[in-house]
Amino acid sequence: MDPAFIRNFSIIAHIDHGKSTLADRLLEYTGALSQREMMAQVLDTMDLERERGITIKAHAVRLDYKADDGVDYQLNLIDTPGHVDFTYEVSRSLQACEGALLVVDASQGVEAQTLANTYLAIHHNLELIPVINKIDLPSAEPERIKEQVEQIIGLDASEAVLASAKNGIGIHEILEAVVAKVPAPKGDPNAPLRALIFDSWFDPYRGVIILARIIDGSIRKGQKIRLWATDSVHEVDGVGYQSPKPIPCDTLSAGEVGFLFANIKTVSDAQIGDTILDAGPGAAEPLPGFEEMKPMVFAGLYPVESHEHGLLRDALEKLRLNDSAFNFEPESSVALGFGFRAGFLGLLHLEIVQERLEREFQIDLITTAPGVRYRVTLGNGNVIEVDSPTKWPDPSEIVKIEEPIIDATVITREEHLGEILKLLEEKRGDQKKFEHVGGDRVMLGYELPLNEIVLDFYDRLKSASRGYASLDYHLAGYRTSSMVKLDVLVAGEPVDALSIIVHREFAQNRGKELIHRLRKLIPRQMFEVALQAAIGSKIIARENISAIRKNVIAKCYGGDISRKRKLLEKQKEGKRRMKRVGRVDIPQEAFLAVLKVSQSSSED
Amino acid sequence: MAGVYISYPFCAQKCTYCNFASGVFPAALEGEYFEALLAEIKSTEWPWTPETVYLGGGTPSQMDPGKLARLLEAIPGGKWREATVEAAPGGITAELAGAWARAGINRVSLGVQSFAQAELRGTGRKHTAGIVASEVEILRGSGISNISVDLISGLPRQTEESWNDSLDWVRRLDVPHVSIYMLEVDEDSRLGLEILDGGTKYGAGRVPREEDIAGFYEKAVDMLAEHGLARYEISNFARAGYESVHNLKYWRLEPYLGFGADAHSFCGGKRWQNAESPADYVVRMREAGAAVVERTVASMEEEYFFLGLRQMEGVEAGPERIAPYRKDVERLVEMGLVEYDERRLRLTRRGVLLSNDVFEVFIHTCPG
Repeated sequence: MDPAFIRNFSIIAHIDHGKSTLADRLLEYTGALSQREMMAQVLDTMDLERERGITIKAHAVRLDYKADDGVDYQLNLIDTPGHVDFTYEVSRSLQACEGALLVVDASQGVEAQTLANTYLAIHHNLELIPVINKIDLPSAEPERIKEQVEQIIGLDASEAVLASAKNGIGIHEILEAVVAKVPAPKGDPNAPLRALIFDSWFDPYRGVIILARIIDGSIRKGQKIRLWATDSVHEVDGVGYQSPKPIPCDTLSAGEVGFLFANIKTVSDAQIGDTILDAGPGAAEPLPGFEEMKPMVFAGLYPVESHEHGLLRDALEKLRLNDSAFNFEPESSVALGFGFRAGFLGLLHLEIVQERLEREFQIDLITTAPGVRYRVTLGNGNVIEVDSPTKWPDPSEIVKIEEPIIDATVITREEHLGEILKLLEEKRGDQKKFEHVGGDRVMLGYELPLNEIVLDFYDRLKSASRGYASLDYHLAGYRTSSMVKLDVLVAGEPVDALSIIVHREFAQNRGKELIHRLRKLIPRQMFEVALQAAIGSKIIARENISAIRKNVIAKCYGGDISRKRKLLEKQKEGKRRMKRVGRVDIPQEAFLAVLKVSQSSSED
Repeated sequence: MAGVYISYPFCAQKCTYCNFASGVFPAALEGEYFEALLAEIKSTEWPWTPETVYLGGGTPSQMDPGKLARLLEAIPGGKWREATVEAAPGGITAELAGAWARAGINRVSLGVQSFAQAELRGTGRKHTAGIVASEVEILRGSGISNISVDLISGLPRQTEESWNDSLDWVRRLDVPHVSIYMLEVDEDSRLGLEILDGGTKYGAGRVPREEDIAGFYEKAVDMLAEHGLARYEISNFARAGYESVHNLKYWRLEPYLGFGADAHSFCGGKRWQNAESPADYVVRMREAGAAVVERTVASMEEEYFFLGLRQMEGVEAGPERIAPYRKDVERLVEMGLVEYDERRLRLTRRGVLLSNDVFEVFIHTCPG
C-alpha cells in the first residue's frame, strides 16, 4: 500500500484508564470485529492479561478505515505492554509508530506510568493525540485534566478528544484525528530491507512468529532474511497481518506492520528491537536502539515436590521459548533441594512467570524472596556479580559492595505526601525532584536502591496513598553500599533459602521482624523450635515456637471413620505443601515472609 | 463378631460443645423417626447375628422405654454380650432402668462430662454431681452395673481444681469404665465456632490452654490407672474385662451395621452412611425404603493402622507389613511417639497426645 495512506499508532495509558476497552471500540467501529465476535478486551488474549487488566504481550491489528475525506486508510494499532517492567518492549513498540493516543482518565489524571511512556513517545518523535476518557463519569473533570496534560507534559490539549470508550463516545473523532494528525510513515519501498522486530512469540506449528514494522523495502514469502543481533539467516515461510485474526498476504512493504515466520526455533533468536535485513550483499545498516534485555530482579524457584524438578526445568524452558527476557540457571539449596535461580525484568514479570508455572504447568512452587544483582569487589581485586544470597562471599573477602540504583518518579495527591515521603526516606531514597504539577498533584523524583523496591515497596506505596500514587522507574547505575547477609536459623540450622541481603543499618530491625513474622507462619511442631536471625556468627534476634501439646481426634461417633480419615488427609495434605528442613515443616509462605518485613508495615 | 449401632439424635437441648448431628427437633418428627428406624431395622437381611448393640445419640435415654424395647426386639440375637444405651443424667428412674434391663440393656454410658457446677452451667447440661451419684445407684439396683462415665477435659471454666474434683467423683462412684475426651474445637459446635472466631460466648474465652487440657487428660490417665482402670484406647479406660466390646469393633475392623440418621456401617470391606439429618432420613426411608447417601470401599490398609493404633496394645505389624512406612516409623520412634519391636507397633504415652501426627503416616494421599 502507498505509505501515504498508512497510519501507525499506539495507545499510551495508565492501567485502568481504559486502553483495552478503547482498542476494542476501535476494532468494532472499523468492522474488524462484529459486535457478536467481541469478547471483552479482545487484545489481551492471555488469561492472565484479562484477569489483571494488563497487557503483557504486544499486538498489532490492522484496521481498514474509510475516513471522512472518502479515502481508505490502513490503520495499524500497535498495542503495547503497560508496566514499568516492560519499558524496553514499550520503547520498541513506540519506535514502530508515528503517533500515539495519550489516554488519560477524566477523573484520575496523568499517572507516573503514563508520563514515562509519554516521554518515551516524545523521545521517538511521535505525534501525540490526547484523549480524555471516561468523560461520562460523574467525577469527570475534563477541563482540569486538559490543564494538567498541558502543565505536566507540555502538550497542547485544546484539541483533545473527549471520549468514553465504554459507551462508544468519541470513537469516530479519534479515528479522524489519527488520520489527520499522525504522519504517514516515511520509508522507501524500493530500498534494501530494514524491519524492526517489536515482538515475537513461539507457535508450536510455525516456530517463532515475529511482529515487525517494515521501515524500508519489503518482505515476501521465500525471501532470505538476516537477523542482525544473532547474525542468522532464515527463509521466510509466510507473511501476514492481524485483523485481529491472522490473515496471510503476499508482501509487507515499507510503512506496513505485520507478522512473519521463518522456521526460527526460539524467541531468543528473534529478539525484540533487532533489525531484519536482506540476507544477501548490499544490506542496509541495522536500526538504532537495540539492547539485549537484562534481568534486574532475581529469585529462586523450587518445586514443592522435589521429584518435580525435571518438570520445572521443562516448564521454564518452554516459557523461555516465548519470553527471552527471563533467564534461569540451576541452583541448589540445603533447605529446598534442587531448583533454579531465575532473573526477571521486574516484580510483575516474576509474578507472571510464577503464575504461569503454577497454572499452565501445574507445578507447586516455592519462590524465595526476590533480590537484585550486587557488584562485589574482592580482596584479590576481582569484581563479581552476586544475584543470590547463597553466593554471597565471606565478609572477610569483601572490599566493596555496589548495589543497583534506580531513578524513580512518583506522582501522588498532596494529601498523601507525608506518608509517601516517609516511605521514600525509609527506603533509603534521595530526593532529586519535588514539583507541583497542577491541581493537587505532586511529582517526586527519587534515587532509590532497587533492592528496596523489590521488597514491599509497591504494597506500601499503595497503602500510603490509598491506591492513588503511581510509580515509574529505570535503572540509573550502581552505588557503594554497606550491605550484609542476614541468615535465619530454624532449630539451630541455617535455612539458606531464608537468607536476605540487607543494608547494615536495617539488619537488626529486619532480623527482628522477620523472626517475629516467621514465628506466626511456621506452625507449632512436636518440639520447641528456636528461630534466630544472625549476621555471620552473631545472633541478632531470637524467638521460640512452643511445642504442640496435643493433636488428637478424641471421639469416634458411632463408627464414623470417614470423618477421621478426612481430617488426617487434610493434615497430611497441609504438610505435603510444606518443606521439611531438618525436622521442621516450613510452609511456603514463610519463604516469602522476608518480603513483608519493614518498619511500619506491621499490621499485626 | 459383629455389632449394631442405633442412632437416636434427639436431645432436650443442644450442648455448646456438641459437634454431632444431634440436637432438638420438632416433637412430631420423633414419632416419624421411630417408625422409619423400625422399618429400616426390620427390612435388614442380617448377614450375621450381632454380638453387641449400641444405642447412641443424641439422647436415647429419653426415648420411651416401650419403643426402645420394640427396636431391640427387631434385632436378632436377643441376649447380647453387650447392649449399651447412652444416657444423659437427670432422668433415670428405677422404672426406666428396670425397663431397659428387661429389654436386654446391660450397659449404660452416662454423658456426665463434668461433675463441677461451674463447668456444667452454660454447657446445656442440667444435672448435678449428686444426681449422677444417685442414678448410678439406681442403675446398679436394677442390675446394670456395667456403667461408663464420660468426662470432657477442656470445658470452659475448667481448672486443675475442678478437674481433680471430677476425677475424684469418678473414683468414688467406682464405675468400671470411663471415657475422657479432650474438647474438640471445630466449626460443628457452637462453642468451637465461637472459639475459632475469637469470641466470648459460651465461655469461649475461658477454655483452658492447650497444654492444660493435655495436662488434665494425662492426670486422668495416671489417676485412673492407680484406681485400676487401664487405658485401652486413646479415650477409653476400663477395669480388666469391662472394655467396651462394641467400641473395640471400630478399632479392630470388625463389622457393624448402623441404623438411623447419620448412622455408619462397615461390612464386607465397604462403608456406607445414612442421611445426616433426621428429617432427611425420614423422607428417604418413606420414599425409597433406604437412606444411604454415601458408599465407599474401605481403605483397609490405612484403617488397619490409624484405627488399630488407637488401642494401647497397638497393631500387629511384622517387618514386611511395616516396610512401606519404615522410614517414617523410624522417625516416629526417634521422636518417641511409637514403639516398634518388629512384631507390634504401638503408641507411646507421648504418642497418644500426638496421635494424628502418627496416623498421618499411614494415610495415602494422591500427589497432585
